Order: sequence, then structure tokens, then C-alpha cells
Amino acid sequence: MGSFSRNPEEDSISDQTVDQPQRRRFGFVRSVDDRMVAGLSGGIADVLEIEVVYVRAAFVSLAFAGGVGLLLYGVLWVLSLDEIPAERVDVMRERFAARLPRQRLALWILFAGVFLTLRSMGSWFGDSLVWSATFISFGFALTWSRVDPSRRSRWATQTFVGEGGNWRSVALRIMAGGVFMTGGLAIYLNSVDAYALVGSVSLAVGLTIAGILLIFGPWVWRLVGQLGAERGERIRSEERAEMAAHLHDSVLQTLALMQRTDDPKSMSMLARQQERELRGWLYGPEPSADGETMRSALESSAARLESAHQVPIDVVVVGDAPMDEAVRALVAAAGEAITNAAKHSGAGLISVFAEAADGTADVFVSDQGCGFVLDGTDPDRKGVSESIVGRMERAGGEAVISSGPGEGTEVHMSVRIT
Amino acid sequence: MIDVFLVDDHQLFLSGVKAELSEVFALAGVSSDVDDAIEQIRSTLPDVVLVDVHMPGGGGLAVVNAVLETNPDIKFLALSVSDAAEDVIAMIRAGARGYVTKSIAPSELADAIRRVNDGDAVFSPRLAGFVLDAFADTVPAPTDPELDQLTSREREVLRLIARGYAYKQVATKLSISVKTVESHVSAVLRKLQLSSRYELARWASDRRIV
Repeated sequence: MGSFSRNPEEDSISDQTVDQPQRRRFGFVRSVDDRMVAGLSGGIADVLEIEVVYVRAAFVSLAFAGGVGLLLYGVLWVLSLDEIPAERVDVMRERFAARLPRQRLALWILFAGVFLTLRSMGSWFGDSLVWSATFISFGFALTWSRVDPSRRSRWATQTFVGEGGNWRSVALRIMAGGVFMTGGLAIYLNSVDAYALVGSVSLAVGLTIAGILLIFGPWVWRLVGQLGAERGERIRSEERAEMAAHLHDSVLQTLALMQRTDDPKSMSMLARQQERELRGWLYGPEPSADGETMRSALESSAARLESAHQVPIDVVVVGDAPMDEAVRALVAAAGEAITNAAKHSGAGLISVFAEAADGTADVFVSDQGCGFVLDGTDPDRKGVSESIVGRMERAGGEAVISSGPGEGTEVHMSVRIT
Repeated sequence: MIDVFLVDDHQLFLSGVKAELSEVFALAGVSSDVDDAIEQIRSTLPDVVLVDVHMPGGGGLAVVNAVLETNPDIKFLALSVSDAAEDVIAMIRAGARGYVTKSIAPSELADAIRRVNDGDAVFSPRLAGFVLDAFADTVPAPTDPELDQLTSREREVLRLIARGYAYKQVATKLSISVKTVESHVSAVLRKLQLSSRYELARWASDRRIV
């Protein structure tokens, strides 16, 4: 990856490595999901199939070499493509794949060459600083590169060791990385003549902790990230399964049922019932812990009567009231009024409006059906009317029925609530 | 003849409504995409836009907001399978003059379009219920009583609509003219759009609107 830190060589390298003479300018790509600054290192690493930490280490080292790394990063950032389609990455990888091992070596040598050239040119922040930065960053890269991030290992051991890896090589890498980092630190401390300070216990402890963090931090970081990702994935798949199960039990069953029905009326009732259920499931409130209220009791009673009598019932509720004896009577009386309308009015729709406010609960059950003469002789009607009125009076409320032939019917029931 | 524009991303529903409405109205155009709809509405300048609430790319809300910014005269009637309170209130507050669910009968839809075109509001029983709920009398007098409270007449009108009464029946019941009913409903719509009422804001945030 070293070569890509060098702008002038860029064209010559890509020309050598690619056979097609008419190839377009090498497009650096910036990685979207693996980025610390602009994702440039991630993009380069992606194409070369090397660990991104090495690319970063190279940039860091060069940054200390007179700021060349920073400059290069900026230039490459401007030259790079914003985001690359996956197939483009694959094409680039293919071009590099055959010569990859040799090329990697070449890139390293080039990196070293440029590094030393810069040194002899004097573009340098001083030996001790550059060398210690280089040692520390590559030591860090060495320890951090153990695990391939693309591997999704389920268990901690796999996370630490990586697929196909073993503890021995891991330990070797940590040790090598540790030695590099310690060496880099030593060079730096030596240069600032800080050995005297190392004598102080707090500094020693601090340095030890910093070293441990440098070595083990990435592991912990990655482990946490992987666990989070796995947990998220598990939750998502559970949700999917739950939703699939629900849709299967409800919507798919209803759709199957509808295909077996010839009667348009029952078809639309099925659709309505299913719609209500699905709506309740999607938008409805969670079943509340404090049990039934006037709203929920009315809605479920209307839903039950709707499927029993195959007449659409629209329920609108304003406010709410807790269930007590009076409200229970109100809901029951409303149920009778709905049944009455469904059986006798012939209306295509029954409207239910309930409002609980200012110490009173009102329910209106209206239809635009045939209506009836209030003092009429229809015993069925009369009986139901009386049972509604009687029930409401026993609960300390009242019921008023207004109707007339051809005018539709409206039953207004009300009780006092606490 | 009223120029009607349809915006809906469900082709099946779109073609159904198109067939129903083309007999009664002039069809200015159809679109099933938010950006395309905004562009087409701005160039065809229909009288009424029938807009679906749930669409990819911002939904009906984006269409209403964008068009009303440049063409405040175009009237919107929101149409949706969902009559969840948050959808209803969000569309009305954005400037739609009415809200009907997709299960509405064709003749009622035509009525609603005519009414919206005349500058009136279209309140379904359910929407009337939502509004009554939102303007419930449970909080102390808010800052702007003019905007933040419904008059008792408006409340009566809404209650009757919530009980399933048509505008004409409401007028008969209250012994007022249909025009008066319509002006009450339009006043409620205005309050719903402009009110900063605490209760309305809280009600909205409870339902994750704002």
C-alpha cells in the first residue's frame, strides 16, 4: 500500500500492472463502512486486499515525515471516487490478484524507499519522532490486524483468533506488535531524555496502561461491535418471524377464505373484519394493564356484532372512562341498540359515537334505515326498546329513542361517570 | 368541470379511482411518485388533488407541503387506507382540506371532491372524533382562545358529524343552513391548522406527529 501514498509513482505503477493500455485513470475509492477520516485507507485496503490498519500506519508514518502523509492523504482524497459499486472493486481486485504477493512486496519496498528518500531530503521531523511514530503505528497495525473484520465469528475465541488462525500465531503477533510499540516508545522517550521521568511510578503505570490499551483495545472494541451487531440481527429476525406468523394466521387465512366466497357481501365483511384486526395490530395500543375501558369495551362489542350481523359498524369514541357498573350497563345497552339496528333497520351502516366528558358518558347509535313508529305495535321492537330504556334507568342513566318511518333511528344513552 | 389530479403509488387503486372519477370530473393527470407529482401538479394546475398519505419519498405530506408553497390555491383531499390519528392530523395541519379513507363509496368521494373544490372542509365521522378529542376541554384556557378553542356551536356540529350525520342532516337538526354548517366546519379546519393549543401539541406528540 506504500506505493499509493506516493502520487508521482501512481500512474507508472498502475500502467505496469495492468495490461490494457487504454485503461482509465486508477480510481481510488473511499470506503463507506470502514472509515476514520474519509474512508480513503479503507478503500485502498479493499482493493489491495490488505489490512486497513497497515495502510493507516503507512499514512501516519509519512505524516511524521515532514507532513507528507497528510498532504498525500489530501491529494488522494480529492482524486478518489466517492463511493464505488461493488463490482468495480471486484474488477480491481481481479487485476491485482494474480500478482498480489509480489506486488505487496514491491509496495513495501517502494514505501521504504520513499520514506528514506524523504529522510535524506530533510523533509523530516527529526529521527526520534519519525522512527518512534513509525514503530508505534506499525506495531499497532500488527496487533490489530489479527482478525479479519469480514469474518463474523460467533464466539469470543474465534473473534480473538480469527478463522483458521491459532493462538500461537496470535501470540506471536501480539508480541511482535508489543515489541514494536515499546521500541517506538523507547526511542521517543530516549530522545526527550525522559528516562528520568520514567522513574516516577505514575508515569510508568500510565505508560503500561496506555500500552495495554493499544494492544488489547481494538479487540475489545471489535468484540463489543460484533456482539451488538449479532444481537441486532437476532432481534430483527425474531421480529420478522413474528410478523410472518401473524400475517399467516390472519391476512393469508382471510384472503384464502375470500377466494372461496361468491357472496360479495360476506366478502366485504371479511375484508372489513381483517382490516380492523390488522389495523389494531399495526396501530392499536398495547393491551393495557388496567384492563377494559369504555372505549375498548365498545369497540370490541361493535366488532363482535359486526361479524355476527354482517353490517358495517363505525365506532368513534371521544375521551374515555374506566369501567364501572354504570359504564358496563351503557356498553350493554349500546350493544342492544346496535343489534336492534342491524336486525331491523335495513341500513347499510350503523354509526356509533361515544363521548365521555364532564362527568357524563354518552353513546349515540344511529342508522339511516327504515325507522319505525315509536308507539307502534311491533312487539319485537318495543321489547328491545324497553330493555334498552329499562337497563339504562336501572343504572341511574337514561335512554332516548328517536325514530320515525323512513327517518332512520337514533338511540341516545347516557350515564353519570365518576 | 373540476380538474382532478390523482397521486397514489398503488396502481390497482389508482386505476380503480380513475375509472370512477373520469365520468364525473376532468382528469388533469395521475402520478405515483412524489417528485413527479409535485412537478406535474405545478404544470397542470388542477383544482383538486387527491393524494395518498403513504408513499415512498416523503408521502403525501411532501406533496402537500411542496405544492402549497408555490401554488396555495390548489386544494388537497387526503386519501388513505390508514385512518390512524397521526396521519389524519398531520395531513390536515399541512393544509389538506379534508381526509377520507380509501373504503369510501364512489359517490361520497365525488361529493367530497366537490365540497373541497368549493373551499369547504370534508370531515368524516372519525376525523370529527379526533378533533373533538384534540380540543377536549380538559386543560385551562390556553394563550389564544380565538384559535385554541371550539365554540359550542362548532362542537355541536362536530358531534353530529361524528354521529354519522351528513351535512344536510346536521343543518336540519340544528335548524341552520347547510352553508352555515360548512362555514362552521371550515372554521374548525382553520383552528386545527393554526392552533398552537397545548393540548393539540401534546396530543400530536403523544402520537409522534411532531
